Amino acid sequence: MNHLEAFLDVGILMFQIMLCGFLYTRKVQRVLPLFTAYGTTMLVTTVLVLTVYEAAGSRSRFAYFTYWIFILLIAAVRSLAVAELCRYKLRSYPGIWGLGWRVLAGLSILFVVHAAIDTWGQPNALAIYSLTLDVDLDMASVAILVALLLFHNYYRLSLEPLQRTIAAGICFICAVDIVSDTIVRNYYAGPLFSFFTEQRTSHWYSQLASLDRINHIWDVVHLSCFMATLGIWCYGLRKPVVAPGRAELLPAEVYRELSPAINLRLSTFNDKLVELLKP
Amino acid sequence: MSDLSIVIALTLALCAVLVWLLIPRHESSKADATLVRGAGIIQALPSARHYAYFPLIRQALSAADARYLMENAPPQVAEQALRERRVVARKFLRGLHEDFSNLVNLGRTIAALSPEVSHEQERERLMLSLRFQILYALVWLRLSSGNLPLQQLEQLTHLVGRLATRMDEAMTKINALSAGPVPGRIGA
Repeated sequence: MNHLEAFLDVGILMFQIMLCGFLYTRKVQRVLPLFTAYGTTMLVTTVLVLTVYEAAGSRSRFAYFTYWIFILLIAAVRSLAVAELCRYKLRSYPGIWGLGWRVLAGLSILFVVHAAIDTWGQPNALAIYSLTLDVDLDMASVAILVALLLFHNYYRLSLEPLQRTIAAGICFICAVDIVSDTIVRNYYAGPLFSFFTEQRTSHWYSQLASLDRINHIWDVVHLSCFMATLGIWCYGLRKPVVAPGRAELLPAEVYRELSPAINLRLSTFNDKLVELLKP
Repeated sequence: MSDLSIVIALTLALCAVLVWLLIPRHESSKADATLVRGAGIIQALPSARHYAYFPLIRQALSAADARYLMENAPPQVAEQALRERRVVARKFLRGLHEDFSNLVNLGRTIAALSPEVSHEQERERLMLSLRFQILYALVWLRLSSGNLPLQQLEQLTHLVGRLATRMDEAMTKINALSAGPVPGRIGA
């Protein structure tokens, strides 16, 4: 670990402590418990990884397993936080939430199945499995956030400021991770694959320098962007968090009466447009 | 194209869409403010304003006017006038599109504020809106090429007008059924 990485590690730890401070002082756990769990998991895993590096050395097998398992754990908790974000505002509108959750759940199942198939086909190494699953879960998170925002836009629902900030942060870090993880995974599964399977021969040591160089670049990109994301979330939490209130709903018969009538009129309108286009 | 290029392109595209969706719409925000201040939905959701100008547009685009121009004005002036007439007709068509969108938004607002919605109804409205966008583009192209008779445009205008009147009636009913004004941009 060089000075830059050490500096970024300390910076991230500070930001994570700040984020957790904001989360608990603003009582975000009452409104967004899974996002709070995500923030807390990040802090706890960072502390544990740094402790393991210090105690067992960053090149030990224990450190290797701890790091890559924690990467997966964070990706899983982040996915749960995304699911919670979907429910955060839409639950105030039971009608469209009943419609929306099916769309979002369908999309999630599709991506999780894709992630499982994609990971199954990878070469046998925990780092490659973790990176593949992380990329797929990140891609799923971004796609689900896009679907959620399209849904909000379609039904003219405004986003809460906190919801907007969290979504922007998750999108940014996921996008960076998708690109950087894919590059690193391609190296691991390609030119550097023998490093994970071979015994510590002279060839193994010759690949160590390449692996260190790639890990260094990946760490700097990932940590810098992660620090920026933590900054975005801390900025979003600078003001007290207000839980979204329940919407004042119309009687159910208004929709039952008007919706078919509106659709019938729209259909007539389209028929007239078709007539206009006939030669 | 390699896997990596596809992943990068897809990620960038998704992020661009996400950023676009995250940016607050200023026009909507203004409308929200009006609504939150307590204006009724009929005033806040302009149902169909443009169709009301149709008699004036018809006068401006009448075939008699065109004939008179072609017979009496110099060819260059007549051509210029006809070009400008088409521009006016296109602007008018855009206005009709706006009227239509307002009415579709009304349907969505009612759905959002309803305790239960029908999947079939929502899917149907989505498909109708998409179909309208395509048809509108085709009509716009025909109008631009001077290939659409004014009489047909008039029929279209009357249809939107009738639709708007029905929606105004519907909204009066909604306002009577619900306790207060219905917000346009919900949750703002």
